Amino acid sequence: MARSPKVIVGLVITGFFALMTVFGPYLAPYDPNDTSFAPNLHPSVQHWFGTTSLGQDILSQTLVGARATMVVAVVAGLVATMLSIVVGVSAGYIGGYTDDSLSMLSNVFLAIPGLPLLIVIDSYLPATSRSNALVIGIIIAFTGWAWGARVLRAQTMSLRNRDFVEASRIIGESKRRIMFNDVVPNLLPVLASSFLFTILYSIGAYVTLAYIGLTSSSVWNWGTMLFWASQNDAPLANQWYWFVPPGLCIALVGTGLALLNFGIDEFINPRLREAGLSARQRRRMGLERRPRLGLTPVVRDVESPVTRVPRSVAS
Amino acid sequence: MTTDAVAAAAEVPVMETTPTAEPAEDRPARWILDVRGFSVDYGYGDQAVRAVDRVDLHLDRSTVLGVAGESGSGKSTLVYGLTRLLRAPGVITGGQALFNRGDDEHPDVIDLTTADEKELRSVRWSEISVVLQSALNALNPVVRVGSVFDEILSTHRRTLNKSQRRARAVELLTLVGLNEDRLMRYPHELSGGQRQRIMIALALALEPKLIIMDEPTTALDVVTQREIISELFTLRAHFGFAMIFITHDLSLLVQLADEIVVMYAGRLVERASARALFSAPRHPYTLGLLNSFPPMHGAHAELNGIPGSPPDLSQPPSGCSFHPRCPYAMPRCSIDVPELRGLDEGSRSVACWLHSEGGVAAPVELSRRVGADRASTDQSGSVRP
Amino acid sequence: MSDLTALEVQLRARHLTRHFSARIPGARFRAKRVVYAVDDASVDLVAGRVTAVVGESGSGKSVLARMLARIIVPTSGELELRGVPIDLHAKRTLDYAAQVQLVLQDPFASMNPVHLVRRNLERPLLIHGAAKAQVEELALAALRRVSLDPPEKFLDRYPHELSGGQLQRISIARALCVQPKVLLADEPISMLDVSVRLGVLNLLRGLCDEEHLAVLYITHDIASARYIADEIVVMYAGQIVEYSRGTELVDAPTHPYTQLLIASVPDPNNPVAGAAVEGERVVTTSSRDGCRFVARCPQAMGICRESEPPQFQVGEGHTSRCWLYRDLPESTVDVALPRRRGGGNQEQMTTSK
Repeated sequence: MARSPKVIVGLVITGFFALMTVFGPYLAPYDPNDTSFAPNLHPSVQHWFGTTSLGQDILSQTLVGARATMVVAVVAGLVATMLSIVVGVSAGYIGGYTDDSLSMLSNVFLAIPGLPLLIVIDSYLPATSRSNALVIGIIIAFTGWAWGARVLRAQTMSLRNRDFVEASRIIGESKRRIMFNDVVPNLLPVLASSFLFTILYSIGAYVTLAYIGLTSSSVWNWGTMLFWASQNDAPLANQWYWFVPPGLCIALVGTGLALLNFGIDEFINPRLREAGLSARQRRRMGLERRPRLGLTPVVRDVESPVTRVPRSVAS
Repeated sequence: MTTDAVAAAAEVPVMETTPTAEPAEDRPARWILDVRGFSVDYGYGDQAVRAVDRVDLHLDRSTVLGVAGESGSGKSTLVYGLTRLLRAPGVITGGQALFNRGDDEHPDVIDLTTADEKELRSVRWSEISVVLQSALNALNPVVRVGSVFDEILSTHRRTLNKSQRRARAVELLTLVGLNEDRLMRYPHELSGGQRQRIMIALALALEPKLIIMDEPTTALDVVTQREIISELFTLRAHFGFAMIFITHDLSLLVQLADEIVVMYAGRLVERASARALFSAPRHPYTLGLLNSFPPMHGAHAELNGIPGSPPDLSQPPSGCSFHPRCPYAMPRCSIDVPELRGLDEGSRSVACWLHSEGGVAAPVELSRRVGADRASTDQSGSVRP
Repeated sequence: MSDLTALEVQLRARHLTRHFSARIPGARFRAKRVVYAVDDASVDLVAGRVTAVVGESGSGKSVLARMLARIIVPTSGELELRGVPIDLHAKRTLDYAAQVQLVLQDPFASMNPVHLVRRNLERPLLIHGAAKAQVEELALAALRRVSLDPPEKFLDRYPHELSGGQLQRISIARALCVQPKVLLADEPISMLDVSVRLGVLNLLRGLCDEEHLAVLYITHDIASARYIADEIVVMYAGQIVEYSRGTELVDAPTHPYTQLLIASVPDPNNPVAGAAVEGERVVTTSSRDGCRFVARCPQAMGICRESEPPQFQVGEGHTSRCWLYRDLPESTVDVALPRRRGGGNQEQMTTSK
């Protein structure tokens, strides 16, 4: 993948939060439920992010909350991506009635507003399930797979006509094997992008559910923090340290994922890549910063690559 | 039959400029393009790949130069580099490309490699135009054909008003054998042959001195190809422009070119008049290439082309880049790079160690007399597998 | 099985037709235009013989190949594989795939870029019943048959690491893995470098001779057809316009289109000067009146505009679909089989209106 600054920043941010997901609960200085501290404290040395109006340490909540938020989002991303592969690739490759019915299914799910549907499904869940990350993840995936399915269907339809797919058909390969062994591997860049985008969507969905108060309040996540913050009128009381950390974390994760997505886009579409010479190379050669079409650069006194290193016969 | 008669019978006619109504150039041919030591790299530093290596070219007014080569030969890179149209990461790394935009009495020479943007813009299209391989890619699909003509003419011929521009566009279409109603069409509504004709008409719009054609007929079927080539003949006779014709199809060039250069792995390996090249090639690659075209008449003999494939330019072979595939390779060939050397008083040149020191090492297939009948003296195919 | 004197017709096609109906842009709602991509094509593919089909793009040659490979369903016609009639509306069977294989034009596009060469060769072997333990051996053997030596060097490479010529040979090796009786090749060399083409052509010819395959070689380049073919078919606008055993039609073309084609080929040994033929390209439309070449034919006559000519017998094993030869008998013999001594199996081959 192109080592552009965007991708590197995206990787750093996402990596940071991945670490937080894994190590957060161990790094948290206090138990997030612990209400023994003085309430409404501004950030200080003992409490980097201050305390809530119940006396809980906000930093600990943030660190612990990362896990639930991210795990649910990743589970949702995985399940949604798998669903979109099955529906999208089948519709795109098989065509005919299969395509018609699967496309109708995707369109229905696209048309139904995701959030209300989530709320409705969630309200039917027994209370115990609401704390189960897997269950929440699955129902979020349920509302988020349709877009990916459409994209994959379109890509599959274009791949279907490629020569190597025809060649597989000619040797007698079965439809199922062609779809999953020939077509899907060529969809990986699109899949990766779709996966990242779905995670982004899932974080938003989960946080929203939590913010409305529909998830279990015994599991800490950033959305729940925002829920409690708004319940206690934190914005009005100028308790910015309560809602800014979780909000910022959500925003940063989103940014990191979006930047990674840029990188994948450039990888898929070579034309977006910085073709050939990097900025540093251009500077070294004494050229302008951006290549100009119709003005091929001329650099003299360059040692011929041919004469520089004598190579042996390569045949 | 005497050898002279055989030579005469097998003689390939040299294309001459036969002016029709008004001779465009009545003066003796003078140069229009002089290229020395031209080199192009892709990339920079350790990963740089040399795509064109120290190429010399010389083109006289109103003549046709054919550039023949396969993939990786650098033929397209060469001409895009010359016109500074090469995209990143291509970089010109050496040489000069002198273009005489004036005439012989008042030469006005610019060096395309050092020209700035303003100079290049003044030269492009009005003095040098380019016809690309795939017209469908070159024409804007959402713009009608007529608008493209209009734009070019309005940019470069400001004195014309709209109806004059249209008249000129119709004139140009007629020149290439198209009806004026094509002006109202979109590119996708036309056939491949028609689109290519439009590209040629566009290239002629400002009556340039030099037209460069990069595989203009490769995507077309052989009948359309023949029609377009014969139209080019007529147009050239009428307008007197010089032409550089790039192709992998060497057999096309015999009917079209005055002089042919053969490129391999970025280097120019042979230069000769069309007649000389076909009847008496000097470079083993040229011979192999000529033997890669199965004949339309005559005995059925097994031909072999050239074993192996064109080299990967990021790892070129040492010495002569052709030596791994060459049936006549000598030990020296893998060590030293042969330079382009003149033969026959400079009327042709070849880059091959077989022809150094009086050409004693050259086999009979590579030392024929110009005009001799190839089939009678040739052992078909390569000598070594 | 069959005695040596009888010809082993591996694949017999009769009156294959494929039409597409397309809406006419801008016309009435339901107005449709029928495009005959292939119209009444008959051909026999014989073991040990290379049949060349020459035509420009739009002539229907690729559609014909795909109908013979049964990846496109003909609109009408008959197909017989080794004497057994095929139900064209049934799905293509694995057995058919094992007997009839197709090699495509673009060597880089016909290999999945994310798979190793090894996998591309293993799949056909496994699908058609090779034992897992033997697969590697068989794959190496297939590579040797297409002169890729040493074969081990090629197994664990990705397509983009190889050259066009090598990839095309691997494509052929892949087709050979199923051990077909018929090998169809759709313009196998037109996307290869010039110096590499003859090697692949020689390979096809060699395979035909050594392995007794029936080879169909499709091309737009009549010179290459002349080089390897045992018989040549010329197609124009979906129809077979001329056929000859051997390469007779190159030296003595009878159909005006073949004559035009041959005159247009740049031949270094024979530079040609001649009038270019004017006129618009014919679209393979539904107009079945008249000969399809009439708009471009320098010898068009009145009858040419009114009705479509049948195949006429212009020589031994040489037919031509042109009214110029209306005084000659109509072709009553199978397109590909030479007239057997003493009559024998004869079939009517007149076109029906």
